[in-house]
Amino acid sequence: MASRTVAKDIITLRGSAAIVSEFFGYAANSILYNRGVYPEESFAKVKKYGLPMLLTQDEGVKSFITNLTAQLSENEIVGKEWLEAGKLQRVVMVIMSKATKEVLERWNFSIETDSDVVEKGVSREKSDREIMREIQAIMRQIASSITYLPCLDEPCVFDVLAYTDTDVPVPFTWIESDPKLIANPQMVKLHSFDTKIHKVDTLVSYKNDEWDEQ
Amino acid sequence: MKAQRGDSLNRIGTLQDDSTTVPPITDFRYHSSFSSSIKKQPASAFFFIPCVQAYRQKLIENLSLDSQGRPFKIMVFRGSPKSSRKSIRFVDELRQEVAAIFEKDCKQTPYRCIPKGEKRVLDAPRLRNDYYSNIMSWGMNNMLAVALGHELYLWNSEDQAVHKLLQVRGGNDWPTSVTWSEDARTLAVGYMCSNLQLWDVESSKLIRSLQGHSGRIASTAWNGHILTSGSRDKSIINHDVRAANSLASCIKRHADEVCGLKWSTEGNRLASGGNENLLYIWEASKMSSSKFLHRLSDHCAAVKALAWCPYQNNVLASGGGLSDGCIKIWNTEKGICINNIETKAQICGLEWNRHHKEILSGHGYSIRENQNKLCLWRYPSMTKVGELGNHKSRIINLCQSPDGITVISAGADETLRFWDVFGPPTAGAGNSMVSDLQGLLSFRTSLLR
Repeated sequence: MASRTVAKDIITLRGSAAIVSEFFGYAANSILYNRGVYPEESFAKVKKYGLPMLLTQDEGVKSFITNLTAQLSENEIVGKEWLEAGKLQRVVMVIMSKATKEVLERWNFSIETDSDVVEKGVSREKSDREIMREIQAIMRQIASSITYLPCLDEPCVFDVLAYTDTDVPVPFTWIESDPKLIANPQMVKLHSFDTKIHKVDTLVSYKNDEWDEQ
Repeated sequence: MKAQRGDSLNRIGTLQDDSTTVPPITDFRYHSSFSSSIKKQPASAFFFIPCVQAYRQKLIENLSLDSQGRPFKIMVFRGSPKSSRKSIRFVDELRQEVAAIFEKDCKQTPYRCIPKGEKRVLDAPRLRNDYYSNIMSWGMNNMLAVALGHELYLWNSEDQAVHKLLQVRGGNDWPTSVTWSEDARTLAVGYMCSNLQLWDVESSKLIRSLQGHSGRIASTAWNGHILTSGSRDKSIINHDVRAANSLASCIKRHADEVCGLKWSTEGNRLASGGNENLLYIWEASKMSSSKFLHRLSDHCAAVKALAWCPYQNNVLASGGGLSDGCIKIWNTEKGICINNIETKAQICGLEWNRHHKEILSGHGYSIRENQNKLCLWRYPSMTKVGELGNHKSRIINLCQSPDGITVISAGADETLRFWDVFGPPTAGAGNSMVSDLQGLLSFRTSLLR
């Protein structure tokens, strides 16, 4: 999705924003599938990043995530969308218990934007393949996270938070929020990927499983 | 970790959920958002004072810094409603719902005793030792119809009067299936030679003979004016007993004798079990096209015992024969098995307890346990509550009384044993479905006492 000239892997700000928001859409789906927030049968397989990725077929969730990723990367009423303006600091997916609304997991995607690119409009070079490989590594890690993340036995719901610069006006599809933190979390840092314009770090923090107490 | 520390210092922004505790007024760090927190704590009115306001503004600016020293604000996406879904994990939701109802129910019902002995034993000479037949039915009129050999008797549970309804002449034919209609005005009798008869019991007269099958009719079930019959000829026929040409639909899906047939309590679904170990679920509206809703092949033996759950829509219990011995609980909406119990014995009948969340299974042969016994299982946990049974040989059929207190087991030892295992009757406080049923029944108290 990065705009490129023939034979050169040039990445523009717009292209990078598209990569990041697309990544987020697939990562969100993957988390919902792997953590069992929605039933497995409501997902369908597609090929992406050289892996079989699962996308939800539930209309409500599908439109939610689509609207969300559109907000991150495309032009909205806001004027200048967040990723392209370098105003988006992080995106957090929060998984909470449906019954108690207690936060059980936080998937934190921090974004560092190269301010040079934003201000001066320069472009960078990085091979698409390289970026895809990095994203693939993260997706694999998300999928394998089920080996150490505590079981979510109860019905869960999710929310998506965005950390932005303070001067960003809150668009009408968002409302100001508290960070929805976990008390005494366990944290695992996953791989990151870098488009040379946006660097995305992934971190998952989760509620300590009682069983683990020594 | 740095990021974490930064986060905890910056708990600002409007609080979306009331459950988040707000620290005391004197803690300036947290009371930075005027707009909505003001609404929640009237005591913070003193923040309106201008000099304090300026101070707070300064504070906000300095505190909302992340680990890199950049100020930020947090927002949550509310772009479009997520939940068009009903369930997250449907099975879990189902289980939770049932567990919640069960918990509620548990607190209300006192500890019950399972009777050790039978209330009554009736002699049933010449009762045929045939697994597939369903020769017993207890109607809403408190009459028990039971086929013994070539004869069919009616036993009045109110006055214990016995009345022979019919006798089949000729050695090659006998009743193989007996079912009362829902209003207990008509008795449907299926025969070995494939005949299906409707009897009016008031006048002890044969009303109609229905044709259609070419093999013995081992199972029948009523759904209002529809009489469904399952036969050794592998077909299921729906008869509309009001019409002159009664044959409404004929379904040929089973690969062997249809030995179990039960309509759901709402009458929208039919469960049919066959000797080829398959269980089919049918929608009432789609019967004429022979298109089944679900084809369930989990059992390893004939599926004769079928019973729909009285307190949960579309939940069905099925029991397998000798090589299977499993009670399976199904969600017929999705066609998935939500529970499975291995009883290790041939299951000939299943009856749900309408008063307490339990299910009773009647057993025949077994190489290990539960032989010739009745087992009571708590629902939905499916833990065994107890077992009863004094039958000397295998149990063939089960049926329960209209008031849902007594269960009769018909055994190959030529006895009918009455067990008051489902009582005491609940007042219907917790579960509305149970109390609705009780309301429907005109015989509220058991007259067998």
